[in-house]
Amino acid sequence: MTELSDELLVAYVDGQLARAQTRAVERVLEQDDVIARRVDALKQAHGRLESAFEAILAGEVSEVMAAQPMAPPPALRSRGNGLVKVGLATVGIGLALAALVAGYGWPLVVPDLLATPPSSPQQQQQAVAPPLAPQRPQQAVAAPPAPQQQQVAAAPPTWQEQAARAHALLSRATVEVGLESQGNQDLVAFQIAQAIGPAVKLPDLKAQGLKFVRAQLLRYGDKPLAQMLYLGVAKDPLALYAMRGGGGSSGPLFRQEGAIGSMSWREDGIAYLLAGEEEEAVLSRLVEKIRNEPSAPDMPPPPPPRLEPQLSQAPADPAISPSAAESPPTASDPLATGSTPAPQQASPEPAAGPQSGPAPTP
Amino acid sequence: MLPRLKRFADVLVGDKAEGKALLRRALMRMLADQHRYQRGTPLDRWAFAEIYGLWLHELRDHADPLRQAKASDTDFERLFHQGQGADFDALTAGFLGHLPPQQRSTLLLVYGEGFDHEDAGRVLDSSPDTIAARLIRASASLADRLGSSAPTPASATIETLFPKGPQDHNDRAQ
Repeated sequence: MTELSDELLVAYVDGQLARAQTRAVERVLEQDDVIARRVDALKQAHGRLESAFEAILAGEVSEVMAAQPMAPPPALRSRGNGLVKVGLATVGIGLALAALVAGYGWPLVVPDLLATPPSSPQQQQQAVAPPLAPQRPQQAVAAPPAPQQQQVAAAPPTWQEQAARAHALLSRATVEVGLESQGNQDLVAFQIAQAIGPAVKLPDLKAQGLKFVRAQLLRYGDKPLAQMLYLGVAKDPLALYAMRGGGGSSGPLFRQEGAIGSMSWREDGIAYLLAGEEEEAVLSRLVEKIRNEPSAPDMPPPPPPRLEPQLSQAPADPAISPSAAESPPTASDPLATGSTPAPQQASPEPAAGPQSGPAPTP
Repeated sequence: MLPRLKRFADVLVGDKAEGKALLRRALMRMLADQHRYQRGTPLDRWAFAEIYGLWLHELRDHADPLRQAKASDTDFERLFHQGQGADFDALTAGFLGHLPPQQRSTLLLVYGEGFDHEDAGRVLDSSPDTIAARLIRASASLADRLGSSAPTPASATIETLFPKGPQDHNDRAQ
């Protein structure tokens, strides 16, 4: 008879346990039907929650895609005390909006989130009902402005901006691994598993006409991000990215960014992204293949001297500073200082004193 | 990023229109107080924290914050995309709608955004242990609901103490 608490089982379902603990729980599951049923119920709950949040996000995305171009905030129009003041305010808002959308490639047109709330019934109807023909953001930018609305459109990023953004993904570990180690796929898989987690996959896609070329460890904020590159006969490389994030599994989601198609999904607490110049159907088949692949091999690493420091132990290089939007929180991170209001549990309570967000940079 | 922020505001408030208004106010405040943004902070974490902070601050101004924090079933169900081919999970929607806003937000940040417990705790100004505790409570509660059609114990620990079920144990005790 075994006693396992919900605390442990939820951690198991969320992929938060160490490998040894996971194996111990799995051994119990093989012998105890009661625990196994409980774990199944928790997994089902986990999956339903993820699906529910994806459904909400799908609604938000379709709403934004169908939204009208952004009108300027009312405060700016009413506080026109001079060209200089308005200009400075506009520049500030522009910078903040640019920072808001930078790095995420999100639509160049922000919907009416900053617009004046609708006052007349007609305006309210327009606000509730999206246009019959959904307007893609890029099309909206090119369209002529509405008579009483101004458009705020960000210029396409320069190559310098794109390069700087890509550079933020580099870490010391990216360039400290000996190239000859790439020839040993098992070793590469083990090193990636050390950095990302034991459940990470380094799939063999030879049957799909894709040869594994190399892998490297990037970073996203303070988290390691593995990039595995595959090359087919003719096209540009296909990349599989893996990062530890969240828990459980979720179905693949297709996105198209220019010529690059991508499929993202979560599996065993690892978030994956498969990206390349491929059609959705091709990517779907590859994702299916990858999801059926076993995880990285569980073996001790051979001690090649060129591999020190190991991938997961490589120190961060202060010289390679990520962009402001993507760099990790520091010790003086305003979010960590508790400058937001006091934590509230299940029921918020009123408290005295004004609230403020993260503290300003001194 | 904007739909993610909008989803967070909607789930926090439990209402689409109110969520949009909250996000509008939060963005305006962020734009006005952008000097408070500290370089090195991931922008999405900062934005989520600002939205949550503003929501909590405004909630404290109400005479009855507990009542204000409750979401109606119909308003919450409107958050879900119900387009062509989209399956609406009424059970999960109802479950989420009846959770306190902080628990809903915790579930969203961890299961929807993929944040780890520390990041979620920073956004919601809570400790990682609090985040973990909320996840356990909510997951176990939803698992109980899912298993209510087929009898499933509320806790595996209880079940193993009473292998044939608590009811059977009570009968024998009598």
